[in-house]
Amino acid sequence: MTAPTGTDVDRGFRAPIGRSWLAIYRLQLRLLVTWGRLVTMLGLGALAVIIGAALGSGGRGTGTENATELVALYGLLLLLPVASLVFASSALGDPREDGTLVYLWMRPLPRWVTALASWAAALTITLPITVVPLTLAAALAGAPSDLVVATALATGVGAVAYTAVFGALGLRTRRSLLWGLLYLFIWEGFVANASDQAAQLAILAYTQSLLSAASGQPLDLAVVVAPWSWIVPLLVAAVALVYTVHRLRVQEVP
Amino acid sequence: MSVIELRSVSKWFGSVVAVSDVSFSIDRGVTALLGPNGAGKSTVLRMLCGLTRPSDGSVRVLGGDPATDPALARRIGIVPQQEGLFDKLTAVEFVTLAGTLQGLDDPGAAARRALEVVELDHADTRAVGGYSKGMRQRVKVAQALVHDPDVVFLDEPLTGLDPRQRKHMIELFGRLGDEGRCVLVSSHVLDEVERFGSRILVIVQGRLAAEGDFHAIRDLMDDRPHRIRVETDRPRQLAAGLLAEGVALGVRLDGPQAVLVDTVDAAAFRHAVGPVAVATGARLLAVAPLDDDLDSVFRYLVGR
Amino acid sequence: MTAAARIHDRGYSRYTDERTGTGGAVRSLYRQTLQQALGFRRSVWQKILPFLSIVLAYLPAIAFVGMAAFANTQPRVAAQVQELLPTYAEYYGFVYAAILVFVAFVAPELLCADRRTGMLGLYLASPLTRGTYLLARGAGTLTLLLLVTLGPPLLMLVANTLNGTGPTSIGEFLTTLGQVLVSGVVIGAFYGALSLAVASLTTRRAFATVGIVFILFGSSVLTQLLIRRARFSQDLFLANLLLLPLELVFRIFGESGHINRTASEAQTLPLALAWAGWTGGCALLVWLRYRRLEVTR
Repeated sequence: MTAPTGTDVDRGFRAPIGRSWLAIYRLQLRLLVTWGRLVTMLGLGALAVIIGAALGSGGRGTGTENATELVALYGLLLLLPVASLVFASSALGDPREDGTLVYLWMRPLPRWVTALASWAAALTITLPITVVPLTLAAALAGAPSDLVVATALATGVGAVAYTAVFGALGLRTRRSLLWGLLYLFIWEGFVANASDQAAQLAILAYTQSLLSAASGQPLDLAVVVAPWSWIVPLLVAAVALVYTVHRLRVQEVP
Repeated sequence: MSVIELRSVSKWFGSVVAVSDVSFSIDRGVTALLGPNGAGKSTVLRMLCGLTRPSDGSVRVLGGDPATDPALARRIGIVPQQEGLFDKLTAVEFVTLAGTLQGLDDPGAAARRALEVVELDHADTRAVGGYSKGMRQRVKVAQALVHDPDVVFLDEPLTGLDPRQRKHMIELFGRLGDEGRCVLVSSHVLDEVERFGSRILVIVQGRLAAEGDFHAIRDLMDDRPHRIRVETDRPRQLAAGLLAEGVALGVRLDGPQAVLVDTVDAAAFRHAVGPVAVATGARLLAVAPLDDDLDSVFRYLVGR
Repeated sequence: MTAAARIHDRGYSRYTDERTGTGGAVRSLYRQTLQQALGFRRSVWQKILPFLSIVLAYLPAIAFVGMAAFANTQPRVAAQVQELLPTYAEYYGFVYAAILVFVAFVAPELLCADRRTGMLGLYLASPLTRGTYLLARGAGTLTLLLLVTLGPPLLMLVANTLNGTGPTSIGEFLTTLGQVLVSGVVIGAFYGALSLAVASLTTRRAFATVGIVFILFGSSVLTQLLIRRARFSQDLFLANLLLLPLELVFRIFGESGHINRTASEAQTLPLALAWAGWTGGCALLVWLRYRRLEVTR
């Protein structure tokens, strides 16, 4: 090793952004994808496809009714938020928990690079394991093409928002899974049903609104009109990411 | 300006004061940060790395604030205390990642060099999750050195290493210091710290108890006599001569050919012992300080 | 050294007090179970979640008692207010989310960490055996769940009785009290056994929590979809692990309604047998899992 000159590094030095972003993104993908998580989530996705096929071959209602209920109940209420919670809360939550965050933090990088790369990795995993099976399930259940597209859109927009929010939660608190579940089941599953105002504070209301607008089927929380039904979740994601960057700046690193 | 400067730094967690009004500055070379468990060593190191902010006072490393200036990380290497690593990566992948995030042009080559320095095989295809504690420790050191930092912080880096690896690592710290880097090593393995060099910082109960060369610190401990063992063929006569000369507080025979001398002024004793031996006709066989080692200094400071 | 010299062993003193044996160990672990789950002697953050769940479970009961008391003083609107108030069985529909949050974190908190950190080995080095360890943990889990499944309706019963809006005779009161007690135990034991079974399968608390939630909600959503949309038999409701115990409570109170319309055709006996089967099966799974578990001491 050579001795440092002490002057070879300018104040304000930054590692190359693109290369660093890619390195963290690839690292997060490797860390997040474990066999247990992947098999479980793929299995739950496959279950949606099987039920979609069952509804399509002998369902009681119309294809639109069956597909809407399947996607709304199993997809938007359960699979999408839980998959997002599992992967996104681990992205920065696990390194924070096991003390490896220091190896990402103690680098000459803007904090947004770490935040954005981690979120992108969580989204990269969540999108295919939710959008693909739910879209396929909707198609198999007999949904018309615009409902199939709406399923993909609602799931995709929801994944963007949920992963950003749960990613921030993972960094903020040690028990992010429990707080995430509390939000999903107490707020989205219960309080949001009480009034339209409360519903507007639930991501589920936006995903259901997107689905309901395409299917024409009434859903409990479908209270938001376009274009807010897709603009607001994207704004929520942006705010959550800004918060994540802020936390990385001010939070104590274990 | 010193490489590292702490001014009136305190850190508290709720009602627990971890570090209280600590000030010191460190220049290039190796410095050991000592203290019993829970004394606040890790908190001081974490503040120096910017991982936690002081509740009061200021921390400066290379003139900047490590908590708010990510660019400083380019010139700092850190070996944290916790064992966690990205367990799915191989050693070379782990260190290459560190090099990439440090903005090195060829992080792969730098990683291989850093792994050679810590005697790890860069061609090893095993993930670090399967490594022994000592190997993991060396991976941590390699990632801290991959970007040739000016300042290196090591929190208990000798933990888990076998004696040969410890010796190698201590030599490495010395080399890093000789190359002009500022190396701060926290440890509680005193006999090994003694081999890093003699500059120490002692933290006890969150306060700075002593700083500087530990031999000089020992000399400052004037409320505690130095104990010196003198081997001679005429111990009784020599003891009487030293007492008469006024350089010994007390003497005690230690077997038929040795005398233990307590003195508050080691320098005066060193000057007097030769002439007194000549005057009493005693032949000096050996003169050795018994409590001039780091362990003795440390025990004194901690127990005070 | 003189004959009078003595070295005092100050580092170790022999325990000379009474030894409480297995019973004491079980009681101690039971007490510790309650403290651990409720976050006693821990940071504020560890207390928030259990206490939030408890508050959410009790809040509607307090509100309904207040509404009943108000109706009692306003004869003109009494009928309308009474109409709004839920029955004891319907009450669980208001608080099942709070109960489930409690269910999802209690058992993983108690079982997973002990195996992950090696604490189980220390427990088994005491007079506790695998059986008595599970007994203490299981009893603790049930007690904690009864806090949210039994407490709120009991509060409603007592408050309504004192208020004059509840049972009108001692016989009626005792009958309702029995129904409330059995209902609380039915729900607590079912969810408790299920959550302990899931928690016994993994050492990661987070996985156990997500597993419990997914099994409960997933089974509910899937059975409802298959019954309502894919023409499956309503017997499939017996696999709805979320709603099965709540529907059984309707039968215990002899109420005409149902927790969900997919439960309307289910007979009471198969419901009770399914409840017993699931609860017993889960308890058996926990026992088998721990019997074969390799514990490092």
